[in-house]
Amino acid sequence: MRINLVLELMDTPGQLLKALEPVSSLGANLVTVIHKRDYKNKKGNVPVQLTIEGEHEDLKKVVNRFEELGFSIIEMDSVVLKERITTIFHGHIVDQDLRDTVDRINELEDVDIVAFDIKLNGEEKSTALINIEAGIGRKHAVFDKIAEIAEEKDLLVINEV
Amino acid sequence: MDECKVIIMGFGSVGQGVANALSMKKDLIKDKTGVNVKVVAAADSSSSAICQDGLDEKLLVETKKEKGKLSAYPEYGSDKNGADVLDAVEYDCLIEATPTNIVDAQPALSLTLKAFEQGKDVVTSNKGHLALKFREVTEAAKKAGVEFKYEASVGGSMPIINFTKDTLSSCKIESIKGILNGTTNYILSRMTAEGSEYEVILKESQELGIAETDPTQDVEGIDAACKTVILANSLLGIDATYSDVKVEGISKINSHAIELAKKDDYLIKLIAEVSPDNLQVSPRLVKRGSSYDVSGTLNMATIKTDLADEVSVIGLGAGSLETASAMLTDLISILKTKY
Repeated sequence: MRINLVLELMDTPGQLLKALEPVSSLGANLVTVIHKRDYKNKKGNVPVQLTIEGEHEDLKKVVNRFEELGFSIIEMDSVVLKERITTIFHGHIVDQDLRDTVDRINELEDVDIVAFDIKLNGEEKSTALINIEAGIGRKHAVFDKIAEIAEEKDLLVINEV
Repeated sequence: MDECKVIIMGFGSVGQGVANALSMKKDLIKDKTGVNVKVVAAADSSSSAICQDGLDEKLLVETKKEKGKLSAYPEYGSDKNGADVLDAVEYDCLIEATPTNIVDAQPALSLTLKAFEQGKDVVTSNKGHLALKFREVTEAAKKAGVEFKYEASVGGSMPIINFTKDTLSSCKIESIKGILNGTTNYILSRMTAEGSEYEVILKESQELGIAETDPTQDVEGIDAACKTVILANSLLGIDATYSDVKVEGISKINSHAIELAKKDDYLIKLIAEVSPDNLQVSPRLVKRGSSYDVSGTLNMATIKTDLADEVSVIGLGAGSLETASAMLTDLISILKTKY
């Protein structure tokens, strides 16, 4: 069987080689590599598109090895592996140290705030919509962090259902 | 047995709805079950009408509407009220439609327990005793060997409790998420459609009779939290009570929040979540066009199961005849199994 995936590599020498090594050593065949160093995503990493072929078990080993090596898989067979989380905060968002709020969410592993839209209302409470990208399985960590911050700073949170 | 004698306790919007619905559907019920349903007593908060040979449902509603009190019912009006009515006449089933009381669950709790002691079946639309003492009440019914049905307590005419128990009986219920309060859904829908502020729409809703003069139960999520407890106990087997639910209402939602949500193709809805690790009522973002995208006073619920995955139901969450429809369905199912 054949799988297509998109890996996220750091823009430093040797990364591509390191990513391709497990493919042959674990018994799979490399069909396609698309690596454009001049394109970087929002985090400054370079996405690499791979197509690999082999027995199901071997492909599974390769994917596991990628994860062990710390390469994050953004997409597999067109299935997006990053989740987008949208949430709304309402309260004294700016006065309650907005920078601290953003940093604490960004500090979570494999979690990034990718957009932030705030409506100010004079001295009154403000409202902000935040878009977060998180690795699969990281959603709970994000929700826990949001709840912790909201509790501490007395913010109303409107999470997705 | 070919006759079922019922007492209607509580003669507000729901009680009157039951009387009206019974007068419309009596023949149908007789055709379906072979049982003749007879109202032997009806009581409001201070008086009643009692007649062992049966009362006229239409005349009960007329009397209440015109005279304000059931004691004005021709010939059979009485000053008896509350639990005394249950002793004053022979009956088979109590249709309990008194107002919900979330402080001490009365008078529903004592009326219901008394009916059980007398060996009578009970159909209720009340949430108070179920939200505060679900286990106690259901166990008392079991012990007495009587039927206790409460479909009307959640979602008005939207089928959920019997639907999940009977129609989805092959499935394990993993969670239920839904909109269980029509008033708040109406307010949020209008805020979304018009971009108006919460206070403005609330006031208009009160003028239209959609929100109550004291809207606290609805807008602060209390009503939805009661329903959350009922679903948790009855469908997920969670031994929870009202104080176990995390509750946040909609009174802090402003037009900015709704506008920001809209920009990202979301709507804000008051969502009740019932799952083993979360009992919560809170404003949530839902995708436009998803099953949660229902507007006006509609209620909806998505039931997540192990075999059937997700099943959603939608219906009118309140209203006199709508709520009565759920109570009559409960009554018919009792007639089918016991008579």
